Amino acid sequence: MIIFKNVCKFYPPNVTAAKNINLHIKPKEFVSIVGRSGTGKTTMVKVLIAEEPVTSGRIIIGGWDITNIRPGEIPVLRRQIGVVFQDFKLLAKKTIFENIAFALEVCGTDRNKIKEIVPQVLKIVSLTGKEDRYPIQLSGGEQQRVAIARALVHRPKILLADEPTGNLDSFNTQEIMELLLKINEFGTTVVLVTHNREAVNSINKRVITLDNGTVVSDQKVGKYLI
Amino acid sequence: MIITSIYRIFIFAWQSFWRNIWLSVVTITIIILTFISVNFLIVVNITSDAAINIIKNKVDVSVYFKPDVADPQVNEVKTYLSSLTQIKEINYISQQDALENFRQKHRDDPDIIASLEELKTNPIGATLQIKAKNIEDYPDIMAVLDNSKYNDLILDKNFDDHKIYIDKIQSLSANIKKVGFIISGIFFLIALLIVFNTIRVAIYTHRQEIGVMKLVGASNWFIRAPFLVEAVFYGIIACLVSIAVIYPILNLIQPYLNNFFLTDEFNVTKYFNQNFWQIFGFEVLIIILLNIISSSIAIRRYLRV
Repeated sequence: MIIFKNVCKFYPPNVTAAKNINLHIKPKEFVSIVGRSGTGKTTMVKVLIAEEPVTSGRIIIGGWDITNIRPGEIPVLRRQIGVVFQDFKLLAKKTIFENIAFALEVCGTDRNKIKEIVPQVLKIVSLTGKEDRYPIQLSGGEQQRVAIARALVHRPKILLADEPTGNLDSFNTQEIMELLLKINEFGTTVVLVTHNREAVNSINKRVITLDNGTVVSDQKVGKYLI
Repeated sequence: MIITSIYRIFIFAWQSFWRNIWLSVVTITIIILTFISVNFLIVVNITSDAAINIIKNKVDVSVYFKPDVADPQVNEVKTYLSSLTQIKEINYISQQDALENFRQKHRDDPDIIASLEELKTNPIGATLQIKAKNIEDYPDIMAVLDNSKYNDLILDKNFDDHKIYIDKIQSLSANIKKVGFIISGIFFLIALLIVFNTIRVAIYTHRQEIGVMKLVGASNWFIRAPFLVEAVFYGIIACLVSIAVIYPILNLIQPYLNNFFLTDEFNVTKYFNQNFWQIFGFEVLIIILLNIISSSIAIRRYLRV
């Protein structure tokens, strides 16, 4: 599903964010990428969604070499990868329904289809009945679930979660982890980028540990090492 | 899907327009001033043209024949002059008509009328009123007459030269146009900068939405297009408001123009009505084009997709 071949990413003047990273993430896999702050975890997210180009090496997603992706193809890639972030990135002036629908609207989905899809994803993230509320009226965990619902509307094959529990307490963290596992069970490849030790250790899934831009450990059923 | 997207682009553009309503109002106001200054130039142009035409139409040469020159001879001169390419029109006034005109002109002067009665014969010769195609042709026509064999038949020639007035009008109109061009140019420049800034602010205000759009895979054109459409809105709304402002102004100045020209033949409102699409259609197209260029630069510079 996702292949990294000798991926390097350098920032001028002399910052190494990724150095000779080789990875192979299989379809329907649940992978946690862990490491301390500044070890290159977020860089991996950025190169995966083509927000930044790699300095060298190749990235292949679902057989598609996105290393030198053209600007016009980036939206196509991003519809295949759902992304959630620590800060949720919800629009404060829109209701929950509107926030999720927005992701479909801007991609040209017609109104009837939106009315069909949004309740389905709200059900998956257990937010049915809260569609008319505004983000500020929800807890942090609920807001993150809205962000996940939005990431799922295009039925992506990959869900990329960059520190999704970074702003949440342990209870909400647990809820989000359970939701990610549930989404993974539906067949979506989940890549979790985090430095939350408890969250990673509680799920017994593959763990890739980064340190100084290199992979220092890749365990099939792993624990947070550093 | 494309129609749905186009519809949403218009909705997003409209929402953006209202979200920064005061900025939109300022932008539109500047574009309106640009429209008004350009239309002021048009009014100056057509008014000066009309003034010059009216004066040109009043210019003619009257050739007065001696009283003893018979009608066939006058007609011969008329035929000769008609063959000249510079001639537009020749009006023949017979001896009898010329006398009648003279009487009418001096009917309140009993001495002149009495003197006429004393005379047994008609003391006034026939007249030819000559209109040239161009005002510059009159000196040539006069020269032709002076050098012709008919010169002896002519008592007098009266050429009321309005050229000096025409030159003055042309010079005044050129000066007004020059100032008008500079004012319009300044307004155009300000309008471009304001549109640029408005779109920049709109992009800043929408940075969250833009971020989400990029994240969920909205196409680049879908992200950019609402800002271009917003710039087009400014042009269209400004044009509509300008039309609503310009017409009452035209109606206001029309009576003054009638008084100035001493005729109601020239109607500036009618001119704008007859050339509505040429004037406003062209202006709105130019403004929209400039707005698109200006907002494209802002988008290219501030909107990273």
